[in-house]
Amino acid sequence: MNVIVVIVASILALAFDSSFAGIFTLRFTGSITPQAMPCLVVFIALFAPETTALFVALALGILVDLSPGHGQLSAGAHLIGPNALGFVITTLLILKLRNVVFRRRILTICFFTAGAVILTAAVQAFVLITRGFMPWNPPAIGGGLGEFAKLFGTAIYTGLLAVPLGWCFLSTIGVWKFHSPTGRRATWR
Amino acid sequence: MSNYGTFRNRTKALPLAIVVTIMFAMFPASWLGWTSDIADLVRVPVTPLSHVGMMIKSWVRPAIEPSDLPTDGQERQELAVAERDHYRQLYHSQMLRATEFADQLRVLQSLPESALRNPMPPLVVPLDLTGIKPNDASGVVELKLSRGIAERILDGDIVLVGRDIVGRIARVGMTRVELLPTSHKDSGFIRAGIVPAHPLEGSRPPLLAEILLQPTSNGYLTTEISSTRDIQENDLVVLDDPAWSISGNGLVLGIVTSITSLDEAPLRNMVTVTPRQRAREHARVVVLGTGKEASQ
Repeated sequence: MNVIVVIVASILALAFDSSFAGIFTLRFTGSITPQAMPCLVVFIALFAPETTALFVALALGILVDLSPGHGQLSAGAHLIGPNALGFVITTLLILKLRNVVFRRRILTICFFTAGAVILTAAVQAFVLITRGFMPWNPPAIGGGLGEFAKLFGTAIYTGLLAVPLGWCFLSTIGVWKFHSPTGRRATWR
Repeated sequence: MSNYGTFRNRTKALPLAIVVTIMFAMFPASWLGWTSDIADLVRVPVTPLSHVGMMIKSWVRPAIEPSDLPTDGQERQELAVAERDHYRQLYHSQMLRATEFADQLRVLQSLPESALRNPMPPLVVPLDLTGIKPNDASGVVELKLSRGIAERILDGDIVLVGRDIVGRIARVGMTRVELLPTSHKDSGFIRAGIVPAHPLEGSRPPLLAEILLQPTSNGYLTTEISSTRDIQENDLVVLDDPAWSISGNGLVLGIVTSITSLDEAPLRNMVTVTPRQRAREHARVVVLGTGKEASQ
């Protein structure tokens, strides 16, 4: 896999999520905003070697956790883990499923991206609740039906964003150099 | 050439990385302060692009005006209510503070002028009773040591309530000060004088007797005095002890509450002196501190 391309795509995705995505925010529906990072994670999980995909997912999740507005604690500290573990679990699931889907279809990326948003959020919630059970941490607060609806909206909207992004990713798939010396390109569908 | 070795190492490293991430996720916030620096470093390559993105976003979709929101009225009302509650809370806290200062002022105004002989201004110290023995009226009382006054209070400083001496400072700790009431048996003998409660009435001398008070175990002070002395109940007992701070001389230790003749010495009377004020019955006391002023 071409590491430089992954790094550049990660920077672009992080920058998109923290700034440019505001253009697409649906203000009247609770500020639902699409995310680019889940698209990138899904794309890498679909095509990269298993271990590489898991490592990249972990790294991208840590980068998201360190982004402004994500897992921020007191005194500017960031909580590392919710997105990192969420992306890893998502990638694990995609790795199990990617052999039975048409990976090179944009629709596949769309569905997986929408599912990735929900699964990542579920893992986030699990991590935060577990963290809240620790005696040295304050209990987790938040959630509710409104947040759940907003999550679904975000998942659908991110799935829609995956259409152009997925097209871009698939168009440049040769640059990513996902195939390994021991891999078989013929397994791509 | 085989790739298996590298592959196996990465396979082992992944669970380790995940375990470390889970551990980080469970750490308390105070242990994750370093992540702010990591976040700053990570954001270095992202920030320029993010900044450009924000400019484009601001140009394409300028920030929404509050008046454009459909729920503007409701939100404004909620904001107004929140602000009102906040300022009401501030008002109440200031009221409490003003009441506190007024109480302190009343305490200071009730001090006798002789208390101002002390080279340092008197200190108003709140009483912090952490535990008392209800049946021991002369038990040790703890005072809260506020920040900045620790250097002004020394062992042996006199503690007042109004015009009455309630005790002396026995120990200045890190956070607390121990007050030894005058009637505590550890206070030892106290030289004092008995003066009439109303010196302008009658023809009694201004100083009725010089006595040596001894604390008893039941919260009183006693002394023996010649029966020829014209001592009456309710006469005042004032401090006249060179071992105490000079600023405390003349302040009231208590009043004469009983005079009984001694069977074993018919020419002498046993005089019992009861403190008029007890520190444990008040919220704050005044300390005539003799220490130096705290440096700012």
